[in-house]
Amino acid sequence: MARAAHPDAMKPKRPGGTRTAPPEMPPQFPFSGRYAAYTLFDITGILYLLVGLVALRAVWALGSGEAAWREILSQFANPLYVAFHALTLISVVFVGVRFFRLFPKAQPLRIGPVKPPPQSVIMGLLYVVWIGVAGAMAAILAGGVF
Amino acid sequence: MKRLLLRLEPLIWLLFGQGILIGTILLTGWLLVVGIAAPLGIVPAQALSFERASMLASHWIGRLTLLALIALPLWKGAHHMRHTLIDFGGAGRDALVAPLLYLLATVGSVLAVVAVVRI
Repeated sequence: MARAAHPDAMKPKRPGGTRTAPPEMPPQFPFSGRYAAYTLFDITGILYLLVGLVALRAVWALGSGEAAWREILSQFANPLYVAFHALTLISVVFVGVRFFRLFPKAQPLRIGPVKPPPQSVIMGLLYVVWIGVAGAMAAILAGGVF
Repeated sequence: MKRLLLRLEPLIWLLFGQGILIGTILLTGWLLVVGIAAPLGIVPAQALSFERASMLASHWIGRLTLLALIALPLWKGAHHMRHTLIDFGGAGRDALVAPLLYLLATVGSVLAVVAVVRI
């Protein structure tokens, strides 16, 4: 029965005779040309991590009672929190636009006998879901629904 | 540790990918209202009153939404931060940094489960 191979299984015990150039970062890295969007996409990870922790704090406060919930809402009114949330929203939109543009290109050419729909249709559906869910969530949270 | 991370790579990638896809979709509405509109007074205060917020969050759809909204961005953030650090020359410290970041995402995810259960 096959088992997982050691990740360094194919690594030679001694360096081979063929000279290889040491790996180098491209001169455009990190903020020139196409690398700018790539690097920014990676850096949004910091904001996603922080906003996940902030949301955890908010939900924890909600479970701790009315006083804790009021306290977290008053903290969110601090301009620094508003600026953080605004910057994170910009990042979220950037990530969404970039990812939804890449997503259709990453689809297989066919799945068995079935061909996936055209890339423009996949991208359109992603945007419909994104705008629909975000709009519905915003309407519910803002008191427009329920 | 490297072997363990390689074994867990499919799971980490699944959570990372869903962090981008579902996390982005859910965070947009949350940030718009809870992060910006409510603090600026654009949304009436009653919309996020304790009673209403508890009512929305204690429904099973609300709990699942909040769980996804917290946990998935943590995994997207942890994985992207790991690769940002590698790109900026931190490959030598990856064996230390990667487990710490994934541990943070794991602990955050577990706490997210507890947080949505105790509402």
